[in-house]
Amino acid sequence: MPGLVETREAHGEMTLVVDPARLVEACTHLRDSEGFNFLADVAATDYLGWGGRGVAGYIGDASGRDLNRPGSQGLERTPEPKPKRFAMNYHLLAIPDGRRVRVQAWLDEDEPVPTLVPVWPTADWHEREAWDLMGIRIEGHPNLSRILMEDDWEGHPLRKDYPIGGEPVRFSGEE
Amino acid sequence: MAVAPEKPRIYEGSRIPSPTPTVLQVPPDLRGSEDLLQVNFGPNHPSTHGVLRLIVDLHGEDVVGLSAVVGYLHTGFEKSMEAKTWWKGITYPERIDYLSFQNNELVFVLAIEELLGLEVPEKATWMRMCLAELNRIHSHLVWLATAALELGSISMFWYCFRERDTILDLYEMVCGTRMHTRYFQAGGLAEDIPRGFFPEARKFVDWMPKGVDDYEGLVDRNEIWLERTKGIGLLSADDAIALGQSGPVLRGSGVDWDLRKAEPYLAYDQVDFNVPVYDNGDVWDRYKVHMDEMRESTRIVAQCLDRLEGMEGQPWIADDRKVVLPPREELHTSMESLIHHFKIVTEGYRVPEGEIYVAVESARGELGCYVVSDGGPRPWRVKFRAPSFVALEATATCMTDALVADLIAIVGSLDTVMGEVDR
Amino acid sequence: MALKDHGLNSERVLWVGKGPGVFEEELGNLEDKLGLSTVEKAVAWAQGSSIWPDTFGLACCAIEMMSIVSARYDIARFGAEVFRSSPRQADLLIVSGRVAHKMAAPLRQIYDQMLEPKWVIAMGACASSGGMFNNYAVLQGVDKIVAVDIHVPGCPPRPEALVEGIVRLQEKIKAGVPPAYEIRGVAS
Repeated sequence: MPGLVETREAHGEMTLVVDPARLVEACTHLRDSEGFNFLADVAATDYLGWGGRGVAGYIGDASGRDLNRPGSQGLERTPEPKPKRFAMNYHLLAIPDGRRVRVQAWLDEDEPVPTLVPVWPTADWHEREAWDLMGIRIEGHPNLSRILMEDDWEGHPLRKDYPIGGEPVRFSGEE
Repeated sequence: MAVAPEKPRIYEGSRIPSPTPTVLQVPPDLRGSEDLLQVNFGPNHPSTHGVLRLIVDLHGEDVVGLSAVVGYLHTGFEKSMEAKTWWKGITYPERIDYLSFQNNELVFVLAIEELLGLEVPEKATWMRMCLAELNRIHSHLVWLATAALELGSISMFWYCFRERDTILDLYEMVCGTRMHTRYFQAGGLAEDIPRGFFPEARKFVDWMPKGVDDYEGLVDRNEIWLERTKGIGLLSADDAIALGQSGPVLRGSGVDWDLRKAEPYLAYDQVDFNVPVYDNGDVWDRYKVHMDEMRESTRIVAQCLDRLEGMEGQPWIADDRKVVLPPREELHTSMESLIHHFKIVTEGYRVPEGEIYVAVESARGELGCYVVSDGGPRPWRVKFRAPSFVALEATATCMTDALVADLIAIVGSLDTVMGEVDR
Repeated sequence: MALKDHGLNSERVLWVGKGPGVFEEELGNLEDKLGLSTVEKAVAWAQGSSIWPDTFGLACCAIEMMSIVSARYDIARFGAEVFRSSPRQADLLIVSGRVAHKMAAPLRQIYDQMLEPKWVIAMGACASSGGMFNNYAVLQGVDKIVAVDIHVPGCPPRPEALVEGIVRLQEKIKAGVPPAYEIRGVAS
């Protein structure tokens, strides 16, 4: 398969890690030769702060129990480090066989990924959402504009360095 | 390709517009014409299901240009869920597709259980299946009520809501509330099934086929309904697959693909039901798929009730105390139970590191949940693959050579729920 | 400005055998205090008994709002005969569902297109205060952009709760309490 970097299997699923520069080639091969004619989902993930301290509710840090914080447990095991900051996951399905596979492409900040609209037209809105919410630039997309946020919104909300927003909640007993 | 080869194709080739597959471009000879009128089917419109905005170019009554603007209900579910523990996060997915809320809960809970490697007791599996099928019927009822309302069959609304209220009564009996029940937990169900549920559910199951007969009797042979739905909004099987369609839209275009049969989850391989497939790819076929699915779901519910009645007294949630709250009586006697309860409620249970994509067949199609866990008490990333989001991508293809009145019928038949589209 | 400032200070308690609730009594006292003329009373009675809501269903609460039109929780018996799609023909805006920031502008536009007198019910937790979504995308309470008369709590509120909200609004109108925009001064 062109562009394949690594294959992983976990929980009954196969993940094919692909070089982003050869993504279109790899996906065309999967669609034509392997029969994956259905693109189910495009999920972009931001791994900034993965496995670090104070992220996702950890009480300790990567080195274990924090003796200055009694009652803290620390991490049981450090999560596996990730190669780059962003991952674009394409979930493919072969109808009518029912085989599933995940194609994963790792990207740095500001690294673009080529569009898959010529391969599966359904990628159109999924890629727009990845751009809008995660800030991953899609090269060659016919209409790369914001889809869920307003057109003049600044920032990419689903990134880890974007605050969750909202208002502080005031309780009736307070002043 | 799971389409019978002898049948003629609906249309030759592909009608997916290019360069943008989701935008119908005005043909060059009409651009700048005086007869071209751009109309905004704004976010607040009685006939768009929820807050969908369509910018339509009309040449007389023909729709020559179409583009959809979404995002008017963007709620930031995925970001909110990253800040909540796994247990408290179950309340969020329900509100994504607010018509088939149990399916949303189900997919998230199945993903957590896969990552945890938790085994769910049989009673919980069958009850989940029963409620998920009731939810499918509920969703189809509301779809039928609103779609028929928009096409002019106003009385269908009251007929459908009569059955819908019965289903919601059943939910209230079991889960405590009508909608957004949060009844599914990682490991099983939140509470045991009350004994009064089975007779009431039987009454519903006995009545429902007559209800569907009522609905079909209202519109199936109505001249106006047939004119407005037959041959409208054609979508061929190849185009449907290329556009990522699933659920009734895909099955109405002739592709025999249902996740309950192809990749059975819960106990769908142990119940007997058919999957309706129609191959004309128009609005009428999608309507028939919905109606037949209601009948099939009633059959599944009946079979679930048969099995569940024999499971009285069995556990309804897994026994793993690191994930599941201990029963309250134990809190008074056992120190470990107290500690488990405390840890689960304050910090939350930890889901081992990993990523997974789980898909179920919701009322609208393939509802997928991609979860990344870093081993902590909160999800790192949750992404929902919403079938309505993808269904709206097909509007431009279905609208080729359509009139403005067909726009309503087509958007209705795609069965979109804007909560899912915008998440 | 709470109902308290109009002299009402208790919830209506629907106990069997209790007789007319304190709410009705206080409304009666209020009517005496405000000293409405017969014509004003008649107009208030007419307005209150024929509130036509606008179809402004946004999210999950919209489904429960649709079920008050259904035969079981019939809202037509209280005067809300039809849901008008055009805001120019509607009196009542039931904001049912979470309001994203993108939707706030159309919401205000619809509210402005309605003719006075107009009332707003914020249905559900999301419309009243942002609900469970305290984040970048959801407007934390629709009373930031329109003046709300009645908040109906719930997620989603039962159809009976929404009917209760509409009935209380009717009683407020008949008692002569002015619409919220006159009190808060938000309408243009």
